[in-house]
Amino acid sequence: MGKTQPVMALDDRPMWDSIAEGALKLQKCSGCGAFRYPPGPICAECLSMESEWVAVDGGGNVLSWVVFHRKYFDDFPPPYNAVAVRLDEGPIVMTNLIGDPPEGSWIGHRVQLNYVDHDGRRQHAARIVDAG
Amino acid sequence: MTKGLSNVAAVVGVGQTDWRRDYRDQRGGAPGRLDSPGLAALAFTRALADAGISRDEVDGLIVGPTTPYERMGELLGIDARWGGQADAMLAVIQACMAIKSGLAEVVALVYGNNQRSGKTNYGGSNAAGGASFLSYVYHAPWGFTSQGALYALMFRRYMEETGLTEAQLGEVAVAQRLAASLNPDAIMQTPITVEDYLASEYVCEPLHKLDYCLINDGGVALIIMEAERARKTGRNAVQIHGVGRYDLNTGATSMEPRLTDYYLPAQKKVAAQVFDMAGVGPKDIASAQIYDSFSCHIPLALEGYGYCGAGEAGRFMAEGNIKLGGRLPVNTSGGHLSESYMQGWGHQIEAVRQVRGTGGARQVPDCRFVHYSSDVAGKAVSIIYGK
Repeated sequence: MGKTQPVMALDDRPMWDSIAEGALKLQKCSGCGAFRYPPGPICAECLSMESEWVAVDGGGNVLSWVVFHRKYFDDFPPPYNAVAVRLDEGPIVMTNLIGDPPEGSWIGHRVQLNYVDHDGRRQHAARIVDAG
Repeated sequence: MTKGLSNVAAVVGVGQTDWRRDYRDQRGGAPGRLDSPGLAALAFTRALADAGISRDEVDGLIVGPTTPYERMGELLGIDARWGGQADAMLAVIQACMAIKSGLAEVVALVYGNNQRSGKTNYGGSNAAGGASFLSYVYHAPWGFTSQGALYALMFRRYMEETGLTEAQLGEVAVAQRLAASLNPDAIMQTPITVEDYLASEYVCEPLHKLDYCLINDGGVALIIMEAERARKTGRNAVQIHGVGRYDLNTGATSMEPRLTDYYLPAQKKVAAQVFDMAGVGPKDIASAQIYDSFSCHIPLALEGYGYCGAGEAGRFMAEGNIKLGGRLPVNTSGGHLSESYMQGWGHQIEAVRQVRGTGGARQVPDCRFVHYSSDVAGKAVSIIYGK
């Protein structure tokens, strides 16, 4: 079965380094200011190949969520959730919701990224910050 | 006067392997009878026999993504004027393009997949397809994996936005199982109810196990011939009246096109292209064959291609429209959910059978045009088959 591991292409390293430090940075185009996620060598908006790494605030809203009832990885015993979060800066990231889930639908709830230790790796997770 | 690839080529032969028998034997502990090229080869011999032509008439070869091109041609003894590798829907379109441009006249399309006996993983730490689709592997650090999860995530939001209920989604599995119960070649033939569906386990919530495709060994082949030659020599030729394609690539890994518009803009562009090329509209279509790795593809296609209004797919299905005998019977062989998971290849030959009128107990009456559609990972494709 095996454990999860991040895709670590040439452009991914700085993001994971920032996650390890507890403050997610994303790649921002030096040409037009658009964020790139996942990181990559060129801006899909303006085709600039220049970029800088910028810390994001970590606030966002839940776009959708699922609950896994089947085991796919040794480090994720079911049931467990995954949520798609639209960050305030624009990009959509996948993460896990930690803390008490809201009653009913999770969609639209306000979340803040936290940083957790997962099986020897530091990564982000989302916590609900609104009143529901 | 033909338009684009309309009436350029026709399907003159179809073939498939004995997937029901193979599934039963493998469930009983038997090993796979054939490997992927072997399954493709068996289907090819049957398609050739169905076409009533000799192997030596074949001058083009397109193989599916699960078999190597050169080895497949070597096994079948086909030296091709034109060849390549493609998924089911693009293989049909490429065959038409090759024929239109004069690069080939008789193209064999072959597919074999021993995914069950070969233990292909569609999720987990070595998920298939990750080399082609980054979204299949990129979110694994958060345990997010499998194509089923990608569609579960997408469809959860669609359900909330449109009010489509789990029971309404269950109509897909129920309708397709009903069709499969009338198909002697289908793997799953026992009829189910919406109550059975709701009581079945979740795999990736909100999707139940009955929303997921089967995993089985099998092969499919088609012989596609230049239309004029098909008219002269082909028996039971089924015309390809129109094709369309639109790929949403931008934002694919972060799932922007999945989660904001559910790929519907791509389907709408393809609808305009394919219906215009074929000179028909949704009201002319007698049956739809919709790529169903997961049941939720069906409501999205119903809306995307204009068979129902925006947000009305749940009601459209609950009113019985997608069942045999309904307005638009969908996946009349049982599809990926109940007949056989042949990655869209089985849908092509079911479309051909329905137009030929050889659908047996599941035949759709007065079946003049059949619409095939897929939206795998935002790559929307359509083909319209007809008399």
